[in-house]
Amino acid sequence: MPKHGMIVRTSLVLVAAALVSGLAVNAAGAAGKKHHVRLSGTLNGAGSSLIAPAIQAMWSPDFKAKGVTVNYASVGSGAGIAQITARTVDFGASDAPMTGAQAAACKGCVQIPWALTSTSVVVNVPGVHQGQLHLTGGVVAKIYLGQITKWNDPAIKALNPGLSLPDLKITVAHRSDGSGDTYAFTNYLHKVSAPWRHQVGYATSVNWPVGVGGKGNSGVAAVIGSTPGSIGYVSVAYVLQNHLTLAKMKNASGKYTLPTIKSIESAAQLVKAHKIPANNAISITDAPKTKNKKYANAYPLATFTYIIVPKKSPQAALIKAWINFAMSAPEQKRIQKLVFAPMPKVVVDAAKKTLKKIHS
Amino acid sequence: MSTFDATGSDARRPFTGRRARPGDLLLQGVAALAALGATVLVVLIAYKVVDGARLSLSTFGLGFLTHTVWDPVHGRFGAAEFLGDTALTSIGALVLATPLALGIALFLTELAPRWVRGPVTALVETLAAIPSVVIGLWGILVLGPVMRDHVIPALHSVLGFIPLFGPASTGSTVFTAIIVLTIMILPIVSSISRELFLGVPAELKEAAFGLGATRWEVVRGVMFPYARGGVAAAMILGLGRAVGEAIAVAQVIGAFDNGFSWNLGNPGDTLAAKIALDYQGATTKLEISSLFYLGVILLVFSLVVNLLAQWIVRRVSRRQGLAR
Repeated sequence: MPKHGMIVRTSLVLVAAALVSGLAVNAAGAAGKKHHVRLSGTLNGAGSSLIAPAIQAMWSPDFKAKGVTVNYASVGSGAGIAQITARTVDFGASDAPMTGAQAAACKGCVQIPWALTSTSVVVNVPGVHQGQLHLTGGVVAKIYLGQITKWNDPAIKALNPGLSLPDLKITVAHRSDGSGDTYAFTNYLHKVSAPWRHQVGYATSVNWPVGVGGKGNSGVAAVIGSTPGSIGYVSVAYVLQNHLTLAKMKNASGKYTLPTIKSIESAAQLVKAHKIPANNAISITDAPKTKNKKYANAYPLATFTYIIVPKKSPQAALIKAWINFAMSAPEQKRIQKLVFAPMPKVVVDAAKKTLKKIHS
Repeated sequence: MSTFDATGSDARRPFTGRRARPGDLLLQGVAALAALGATVLVVLIAYKVVDGARLSLSTFGLGFLTHTVWDPVHGRFGAAEFLGDTALTSIGALVLATPLALGIALFLTELAPRWVRGPVTALVETLAAIPSVVIGLWGILVLGPVMRDHVIPALHSVLGFIPLFGPASTGSTVFTAIIVLTIMILPIVSSISRELFLGVPAELKEAAFGLGATRWEVVRGVMFPYARGGVAAAMILGLGRAVGEAIAVAQVIGAFDNGFSWNLGNPGDTLAAKIALDYQGATTKLEISSLFYLGVILLVFSLVVNLLAQWIVRRVSRRQGLAR
């Protein structure tokens, strides 16, 4: 009974908010047409360390040229959500969409996908070079469940007929801190493996059945670099900068692919407009099978990263300008250097629609 | 000891004599405020930590202490594994550090040529000044591979029948954490022990030498008994440091949360390391609250450790006072 009352009240508030924001947007639109307004002020944000280099080195300096200072603290996705929930910042950033409980606690927050990247599977197997090893989600899940323990296991050999694989113990490496990479990786295994779904599930940190943890991408990379026979997942930007050995992953279309701007973008292009939920939580791991040759190379570990803002904020005008700016074509192009892929149009449209809900 | 008392009473005398001076009142006020502030701060911190743990306390109760699972996805949390690994790493570090520290202290007070003592003392103290995160980095990059390739296999081949000395597959192990902690508590125990050995009355040692005792007999029969209580207190302080160390341990221990193992070659996770690693990424209220619960356990432990150390020091100094 009380739950019911709550829903009615919430929806009333939503209707009211929508009316007010509609008015505000119209007014702003009219004003924008008349004369070009120069922005000024300061925005404070905190959260995801994945997006931090894009904000701190590229978007923020560019936006400063337009008159707005953006301060961003790279404190981790969970802490970013906590800070925006407490309203100690103007925006939070998270690599994982908010959980139901988090969204409820944040009281009227919206999340908007504003960049697209990927985690990736790397290995250290003697005699195996860049992109030579072929793996499937099912085999990776079995490795991470501790069911496949040797590199010359028949299941791995079957995927790699031309490769001589050593009789070597597999050392599983994972992140020891909560991270968006863990979210994307476990979300993928959750989709492709029923045992994984039942036993482990997906989140920014999970209860790993086996393996050794490293702190941050560099921690996992350190374990992999120093341990022959190891496998792990590392953010793609980090992999490319540090020349780790990538494994090719089989996607839903049956192709073995490496993470590149193109293959990450392909995964996102397979998002259908009607499949985007109201809260914008778009999962593109294990991107669906496609007949379109252009997108058949979709990398199955791609993921969106989100900005989280309250619908009602005294900084609404600046926040909207900031998100629009970050999603603009030139700024999205700029962060390709950090291996963020361009966002597909359907997602940008959904983001813009959500943006309209923000008001002061 | 006696000079200490004299300066203490000398310093107190002028204050008691001129109580009404405004400057003195001000000093007294500021000092009292500082002392009060520190006390209030401790209480507030303790309150906040317990308050943060409330949800987890009411959900899991004391069962939290005996459950080994840490599963954020399914909302099941327990501290048993962290308690086990915390005990293993800190006691292990103490076992390795104490004899080393006593050796260093003896060398610096009794055996080393005078010109060596100053520089070596300074260097040992410098060990305490290395930031733990730097020791952790060294632990990942240098110590970890050495442990995996040489130390752990060697111990396993000789002492493999003891469950502690199993094989290791990576450098991120409980054993690596023990060595890192040993390095961190070594200067604490050694510098306190050195002070204690320096405090052994010269007449006692001379009397022993006069009776024809060898250097080792003097060390064993005079110095160790004299410093015993203080060394115990130093060990307990070192233990407190080892239990509370988060960053360096988090870097090298390998964050394995799925069950306690006696094998030092396996990865593990300690209370402090778990809090340091998980707090930023924690997503649910229950997980955050459970991390606070780990904090409560740490807090209670360090309180006990500190009280124990104070009690030992007091008991020993009283006994020595009576003896004299």
